[in-house]
Amino acid sequence: MLTEKLHFEPYELPASLTPLREAVRDFLAQELQSHSLVQRSNSWDAYDPKFSAKLGAKGWLGMTLPEQYGGHGRSAFERYVVTEECLAAGAPAGFHWIADRQSGPLIARYGSETQKAELIPKITAGEACFCLGMSEPNSGSDLASVKSRAKRVTDGWLVNGTKVWTTAAHQAHYMIGLFRTDNGSDSKHSGLSQFLIDMNKEGITPRPIKDLTGRRHFNEVSFENALLPLDSLIGEEGQGWKQVTEELAFERSGPERYLSCFVLLTQLIDVVKDDLSSATMARIGSQIAWVATLRNMSISVAGLLNEGQDPTLAAAIVKDLGCQFEQGLPSLAQELAQLRPTLEGHGIDYQQVLGNLVQLAPSFSLRGGTSEIMRGIIARGLEVR
Amino acid sequence: MNEIRNILRESVNRLFSDALDWETLSSIEENGWPEELWRQVTEQGIHLVLADEASGGMQGVWADAYPIIRACGQHAVPLPIPEAIVASWLAQQAGYTLPDGVPGLIPQPLTSKNFTAGKITLGEMVVPWGRNATYLVGLSSAQEGSELIVALTKDTSCKEAYNLGLDPRDEFTSPLPILARLPIDVEIDVVHWLGAMIRAAQIAGAGATCLELAVNYSCEREQFGKTLSRFQVIQHHLADLAGTMASVDAMSAATFQTLDRLGMSNQRRDARFEIAAAKCRASEGVDKLTGLSHQVHGAIGFTYEYGLHFFTRKLWAWRAEFGGVAEWGEYLGRVACDRGGEKIWHTITE
Repeated sequence: MLTEKLHFEPYELPASLTPLREAVRDFLAQELQSHSLVQRSNSWDAYDPKFSAKLGAKGWLGMTLPEQYGGHGRSAFERYVVTEECLAAGAPAGFHWIADRQSGPLIARYGSETQKAELIPKITAGEACFCLGMSEPNSGSDLASVKSRAKRVTDGWLVNGTKVWTTAAHQAHYMIGLFRTDNGSDSKHSGLSQFLIDMNKEGITPRPIKDLTGRRHFNEVSFENALLPLDSLIGEEGQGWKQVTEELAFERSGPERYLSCFVLLTQLIDVVKDDLSSATMARIGSQIAWVATLRNMSISVAGLLNEGQDPTLAAAIVKDLGCQFEQGLPSLAQELAQLRPTLEGHGIDYQQVLGNLVQLAPSFSLRGGTSEIMRGIIARGLEVR
Repeated sequence: MNEIRNILRESVNRLFSDALDWETLSSIEENGWPEELWRQVTEQGIHLVLADEASGGMQGVWADAYPIIRACGQHAVPLPIPEAIVASWLAQQAGYTLPDGVPGLIPQPLTSKNFTAGKITLGEMVVPWGRNATYLVGLSSAQEGSELIVALTKDTSCKEAYNLGLDPRDEFTSPLPILARLPIDVEIDVVHWLGAMIRAAQIAGAGATCLELAVNYSCEREQFGKTLSRFQVIQHHLADLAGTMASVDAMSAATFQTLDRLGMSNQRRDARFEIAAAKCRASEGVDKLTGLSHQVHGAIGFTYEYGLHFFTRKLWAWRAEFGGVAEWGEYLGRVACDRGGEKIWHTITE
């Protein structure tokens, strides 16, 4: 039956994970003492190599990556616990975020022996920052229409073109990029391949793009006759679309899809807790119900990933619902607290967090695939597309 | 999902889908109680999923009951099966075996005011399926802890009324004789909480049918030379509807499982947090489940002849029964504010 495909089988994290959770909590309480709340509200956008290295030293990065290459060979649920604790506390996860979440698993699955041996230890140590070369100036949601090209030449791959909206490209050591390797193929989904790119190579220039908050965290990256070594191809030539689709499922179902505003929710609770009106309580409670619901769904998807099942549909649902919840939170937070949003450094913490997230909220339903794309994926799951 | 649960879910769904098409549902709305279907349900012991074998039950856990209760919503089953499951669970807690007949639930705890000379009076309490019940099961506060009360409804008239889904919601105006009164080790208010939980599961089920009807209709109905399903705006309505349904189902399913793990006792962190979240999410989801499925159907969905209303009317009724967003949201809001911003995360993950 159709609706059975939409059932998220409940999965309860075993009690054996509690010591890990407590250890992470203790560590974060120490580490984040000096971090302001507005800093915390940037969590997985905030770039802090020292913090990432400490997390790596604790054994809390690359947790699911294979031990033989220097990963920790632990379950998706153990990683889940670490990730959700970091997000709920607003830890600065930006440096290791992409590597730990998707590039690591991608390399473990499709990478060559050399790539695995070189990169998995670095990712696990929290020493490698990755970025994703996907969108292009003329290929946004229509990702399969990318034009940037990697051409096979005698001593490697010659890459030309432009990537855009590339988070952290100006700081990253590596990019995993999607490029066209065959122009003549019949379908636009074939003829694409993924490459592992050393960002220090000649011919690669990231130019930061200022976002609406005035910060520079994403970039345009131009490739001008950048020569990549032969072994920089990841997986199979021509299989880039399949690989990237799998990778995006990792990107879309995690706890970050409902915890990127969590600091605002906890602050809101503290600001309104003396307002005992039933109506206010009910609106706060409805947000709590959302968090509980999304968490159950997200853990269920971690279960699918752990069993090696295809989580594409479930991940799209979690991302779409997570955006609905997260994008509603800033306006609710403003309305209930009756405080105006302010810029960093002005007003009380609450106002600064609010000011930050009001401005960031539009990006929630854009990054990692727009809500329209998510709904397209869900519609395909319903077999109406 | 475990094997037995799968078999149970399939057999229950088969029974209901064979027995209840739109024509039958409409004739039941007109003529009342479907005795033959109730006979089949009791014969298979579906309502005794939680009772022990000595009482003729399946000795299941709440997670086994979830697919059954959800199926009751999915097929708009006009029988008090979810209520009977709760009643049999209560009886089990008191070591009591329910007599034959149709069990009803007393929705609120009784106090000394409700007792007169070996009988109970329910005042203005609304009893689901009261007129059809052979006896009612409820809780009252005793000197120490709680008591299970079983009261006979035989020869008692009740003030008959219905909810929007045309399920009986009756009031007993005269006193009911007490059949059994036993000590029970549960909190006095559990009927209300379990009531909220079963309604959340029924909402998940009825929501699934609304989605299924909307998807099927959109693939059949043509306008502007193509099926509705070809229009992106319709696809997005359906996706939104699907996500809402999935969220209600996921939270409800998880809650039944959590109840097995944490139980219902005010002494420690129990399943109340999840139950409140499940009913809050379910009641809040009803707006989209009903609104979007009707929008996709257009005018046909607004007719009595087309059966979408069997599900949407029940959704509107269940949204409010045993507390809606205002009550459960307020409960969760107070939990959050009592614990404080930082600690609420600990409650969520406990």
